[in-house]
Amino acid sequence: MKTVRAALVVARGNDRGIMTMAQGISRRDIVRQAAGAGMLISASGMGINARAAEVLKVGVVFVSPITEVGWTAQHRQAADAIKAALGDQVVVDVIDDIFQPQDAERVFRGFATSGHKLIFGTSFSHGAPMAKVAQQFPKVIFNDCAGVKHGPNLGSFEAKYYEAGFLAGVVAGKMTKTGKLGFLGGFPIPDIIGPGNSILLGAQSVRPDSTCKVLFMNSWSDPGKEKEGARALIAQGCDVICAMTDSPAAVQAAEEAGVWAIGYASDMKKFAPTRQLTSMVVDWSSVYVQDARDVAAGTWVSKARWEGLKEGVVKLAPLVSTIPEDIRALVRKKEDEIKAGTLLPYAGEIRDQDGKIRVPKGGVLGDDDVRAMNWLIAGMVGQAKG
Amino acid sequence: MIKVHLERRLVPSTIMVIGAPVLALAATIGLGTILFLGLGIDPLATLYQFFWAPLTTPNGLSEWLLKASPLILIALGLSVGFRANVWNIGAEGMFIMGAIAAGLLAIHFGEGAPVWLLPAMVAAGALGGMAWAAIPAFLRIWANASEILVSLMLNYVAQLFLAFLVNGPLRDPDGFNYPQSPLYDPSAMFSPLFDEMRLNSSIFITIGAVAVTWIFLERSFLGFQMTVGGIAPVAARYAGFSQARAIWTGLLAGGAAAGIAGMMEVSGPLGQLTPVISPGYGYVAIIVAFIGRLNAFGIVVGGLLLSLLYMGGESVQIALNIPSAITRTFQGMLLFFLLAADVLIHYRIRLGRT
Repeated sequence: MKTVRAALVVARGNDRGIMTMAQGISRRDIVRQAAGAGMLISASGMGINARAAEVLKVGVVFVSPITEVGWTAQHRQAADAIKAALGDQVVVDVIDDIFQPQDAERVFRGFATSGHKLIFGTSFSHGAPMAKVAQQFPKVIFNDCAGVKHGPNLGSFEAKYYEAGFLAGVVAGKMTKTGKLGFLGGFPIPDIIGPGNSILLGAQSVRPDSTCKVLFMNSWSDPGKEKEGARALIAQGCDVICAMTDSPAAVQAAEEAGVWAIGYASDMKKFAPTRQLTSMVVDWSSVYVQDARDVAAGTWVSKARWEGLKEGVVKLAPLVSTIPEDIRALVRKKEDEIKAGTLLPYAGEIRDQDGKIRVPKGGVLGDDDVRAMNWLIAGMVGQAKG
Repeated sequence: MIKVHLERRLVPSTIMVIGAPVLALAATIGLGTILFLGLGIDPLATLYQFFWAPLTTPNGLSEWLLKASPLILIALGLSVGFRANVWNIGAEGMFIMGAIAAGLLAIHFGEGAPVWLLPAMVAAGALGGMAWAAIPAFLRIWANASEILVSLMLNYVAQLFLAFLVNGPLRDPDGFNYPQSPLYDPSAMFSPLFDEMRLNSSIFITIGAVAVTWIFLERSFLGFQMTVGGIAPVAARYAGFSQARAIWTGLLAGGAAAGIAGMMEVSGPLGQLTPVISPGYGYVAIIVAFIGRLNAFGIVVGGLLLSLLYMGGESVQIALNIPSAITRTFQGMLLFFLLAADVLIHYRIRLGRT
């Protein structure tokens, strides 16, 4: 326990993040470790057939139940992409609906002891247990989506949702009548607060008086509560609803009420065929496939991946057909600018809810500040609290 | 037309005390086999993964006991109240409040705490749970408010209070603004019993509680009074047994047990306060108490069974690639049959013509 703690303190205490611990270990060490892991597995007879030594076993732990759309559906798609890319050189085992850290630790340990050499977590609640297990299985590679802890065999990956959020906000700002948006978040964590802010920044860039009401669910998947939350926002005059949770309940509520919706994680068009303006789609396939290839080749190196529109990890779903061409052109232009790095969604001046200047004119919010964002921008109504 | 009806037995059936769970198991396996065949899954492999595979490794055994321990402890406390028809549905909230009370101590002392910190945290956990349980007890006696509703609703209050704390005052200053407390110092944690395994010394608290609960329920006068109050309230009142005392005892016992269980979970597998600390233990423990027929040793069996079902569900998912929705269905079937079959202890099925 003491060593675990010490390592975490090192990883956290280091402001720039992230890379230092990985750099402490040379590439050759990693190759040797991975080769060692391969030998260990074939020697202990984990694989039943003779081919087992070449087959990479991958374990993926989903935070919520597997459903048609949403966060877990996108991770499942990425897990399937490994199979499509590596064929019979890989076995992918998955388990869904593991949210609690104490359960996740048991499952990670189970995967690690049953010959899985690459294990994915898909939630910030998987971070702490994954860090503990990673310490005890130095020859197994761990990668946590939304993780904040890192080590020689523990990496993280995240998406720049805010890039798609800003574009969706532009569409919302153009299409809203009331100028009031509504945002439902799972938990008030930086990965949710940041994109929420970016949607309003996008809307304010085309309609400066836009505001946005926020509610947090304290759960990733509670369709009943999400629907109620969405209805409450609609009743308060919000006519564009976005929910960063795991279910399409809010999008459905918007369709039923005849207001606009912005989907998240998956394209949720099916659940709001006439009312989903667009969706902030995440596609982790490139991360999963690259990791599987690197682990199989013994070249995996711990890193903190954080990618957006340019890399294709974040995408904007096709705009609903009722959006006029001039708005489409505007969104296309802004998308190109974000990809090119000429449009920065978090460029100043940005004030917080109290009117305090957080990003001065001409400045831009630093990456570390974006990833630790726990404050709401001016125009947000509500609190960044559960 | 043939009518099926239940007829009360004059004396509870001794055969059915053993036979009911066997019947339930047979019905579950039968229906489960149909379910698995219908889905194109090998039923034998599935049953093996469910009931045996999790227990085939030392680590599996450690995890089994680790998961069963809080369920058993909470169910023991609840059974004291349930015996006297005091329906405490609030163990989830008491679990959380116990964890918070102990967590305040752990975070206050931080690193290099005195040796008495852990025992003090156990006491704080018990007091936190009892304080939360005192609210429905007081309202029941003072205002005749249903303890079912009050204790249930307080679960949500406790959950939100915890979310408030980890989003605010107790948030880890070095935690990238994520809603979680700092990691506990090892002095605030139970030590693992074996290397590389998670089972820790808190299991002895649960073992002790089994003995204490058995003595209290089966051998003490107050325990007898509560049982009588549950079976025959009028007789209990006639005998001069205090109903208020039964309510206080029942709820406070449940609160203390759940509070300690919450503390154990955070000072064991979790290691820090997070927005959600319980995977529904406070609710599952109600099922455990009834599967155990409100008997201390029965509850041990019930807790071990529920824990095995959790782990078996996971092992089935991984080994056979089926989603949690199916494993949950199977778990639900078993629990339903187990509780339903117990009717046969006190009733027999009669076929008669109308």
